Amino acid sequence: MQQFTSLDYIKNSYNARISQIAEERKMGKKIVGTFCLFVPDEIIFAAGADRIILCGGKNDTVSIAEQYLPRNICPLVKSSFGSIVNNGCSGVKSCSHFGMVDMVVAENTCDSKKKMYELLGDYVPTYVIDLPQRPDSPEALKYFLGELDKFKGAMEHLTGNKVTVEQLKKEIESSNETRKLLHRLYDLRKMDPPSINGVDVLKVMQKQYFLSTEEFKKSLRMLIGEAEQVKTEGAHKPRIMISGCPMSGGNTKVPEIIESKGGIIVAEESCTGTRSFWDLVDESKNPMQALAERYIKIPCSCMSPNDRRIDNILKLAREFKIDGVVYYTLQFCHGYNIEKYKVQQALKKQGIPMLAIETDYGDSDVEQIGLRVDAFMEMLS
Amino acid sequence: MISVGIDSGSATTKAVLVNDGRIAAQVVLPTAFDFLSAAEKAYKNVLFIAGVDEKDINGVYATGYGRNSIKFADRVISEITAHAKGVYHLYPDVNGIIDIGGQDSKVISVNGGKVTDFLMNDKCAAGTGKFLEYTARALEVPIEEFGLLALASNTPASITSMCTVFAETEAISLRARGFTREDIAAGLIKSIARRVAVMARQVGLKQNVAFVGGVAKNAGIKVALETELGISLYVPPDPQVTGALGAALLGIS
Repeated sequence: MQQFTSLDYIKNSYNARISQIAEERKMGKKIVGTFCLFVPDEIIFAAGADRIILCGGKNDTVSIAEQYLPRNICPLVKSSFGSIVNNGCSGVKSCSHFGMVDMVVAENTCDSKKKMYELLGDYVPTYVIDLPQRPDSPEALKYFLGELDKFKGAMEHLTGNKVTVEQLKKEIESSNETRKLLHRLYDLRKMDPPSINGVDVLKVMQKQYFLSTEEFKKSLRMLIGEAEQVKTEGAHKPRIMISGCPMSGGNTKVPEIIESKGGIIVAEESCTGTRSFWDLVDESKNPMQALAERYIKIPCSCMSPNDRRIDNILKLAREFKIDGVVYYTLQFCHGYNIEKYKVQQALKKQGIPMLAIETDYGDSDVEQIGLRVDAFMEMLS
Repeated sequence: MISVGIDSGSATTKAVLVNDGRIAAQVVLPTAFDFLSAAEKAYKNVLFIAGVDEKDINGVYATGYGRNSIKFADRVISEITAHAKGVYHLYPDVNGIIDIGGQDSKVISVNGGKVTDFLMNDKCAAGTGKFLEYTARALEVPIEEFGLLALASNTPASITSMCTVFAETEAISLRARGFTREDIAAGLIKSIARRVAVMARQVGLKQNVAFVGGVAKNAGIKVALETELGISLYVPPDPQVTGALGAALLGIS
């Protein structure tokens, strides 16, 4: 597989971003920490703040969190909380951004996160957007719109800037541009073989809410420019779609195993994949209404019913010509774990094999996962 | 056409030598610490028993937990595919496999010798050979007698814990409450069978199911599994070697 120089640029972007944030803070700009796709970037930027993702993908800070949180909750929640209470997780590399936020903007999604945010408020100012979880009811949309209005007010309060319709429209256009670039990147993965492997794309996706939008778009343009030049050739490899929990920065365990065993990941139905960019915000509508309509449709497993997710999975499987799905869940993520059954039934009907992997951030199960992936690849080829 | 399959398992290393599609020799020995040296030993032994010279071997194929350590193998294959091939060779009508080994249990759905779906137990000794070893120790019974002991019980004790450590504790407390060895052994075996049966139903195993792996030598588990699933299971005379057999057959296909 081709090595792209732009990937090195993206992988090495950490320090520059940290300096940028430090500089912004010095100039009085507010930095908001977020955890979730349900928090619209557009409102944050329209208020003149910057944002940075706080989802933890590293195992190092899990044990710190376990002083406060039960052991049997999801590793993402523990890793993130551990990083924040340890104020930039002293001694852990590439972690200092956790200590650089003026406010956390949280959201009521799963139980573990909801209750974790209640504790987090003691360490950093935490604002919670309440999320209605029956996405298709008109009342839910109205309520969510109200929540986004309140959030807009909170951002205005934090920054001292008024959020204008013009600013919002501009930010919506800018974020849609990012989404279109990501579509273009994912189009390259529809080729057989694709011109870019899944682990590399994941590492890019992990930077989506870490870098500034301008820097992220520039990185994408560099990468797309390089990857579109490549003439792909070679034998067909089993085309894998990952579906399930997010893989936050630092967590590439399962994709690395899949691609080292001869598979090629061509799509991720996850928050670090298609869910983050698939739908655009309607630029012709009132911006707040358009944001509410777009964001409430994200098919997170905290939603009920969540048939939209099943439809998406089947649609992506067709579009990306998937040979097999690896259903990825983090331990104790009840939402995605329970939805596994419905996804499996739906895939079975289409004759698409599925391998379920439940794991955490530790390395103790690398061999066991490797065996399952080996057998799955043998099954697909 | 002569080939050797080596199944490098966590507890035992198995080697099978296949000559023109027939098993000519087989070896089972403890793995101990070093996967590679156990595999070398098994390989040499199986050649010796078959009376075959190394230069006449057309291929060596490795499977099992230590498969990637077997440097002298020509190819490696996962034990899931290997068991499917090996069992299919013995029972051409098979469409399901239950394999309980030293450190994991697997259920495999097969069609014409090809794997169509599978499940393995997760990150835990529940429903594995290790579980049996630990609990046999708690009852102070040699592992070989454990199954027979269980078969002698008419009133199995109820064991609710699936965790190996807790099941051991539970067995000890049942002992303290005056339950017989037979009833506790039957209870422990029932708890494994129930766990594995859930996996088998998840994968949809119904008829023509084979039971393989070291634990299949345990008659108590076989009977308990048959009761749980309501079917009778095929158990090959040497249930430990189907993985090595399947690997050896790679040389033919």
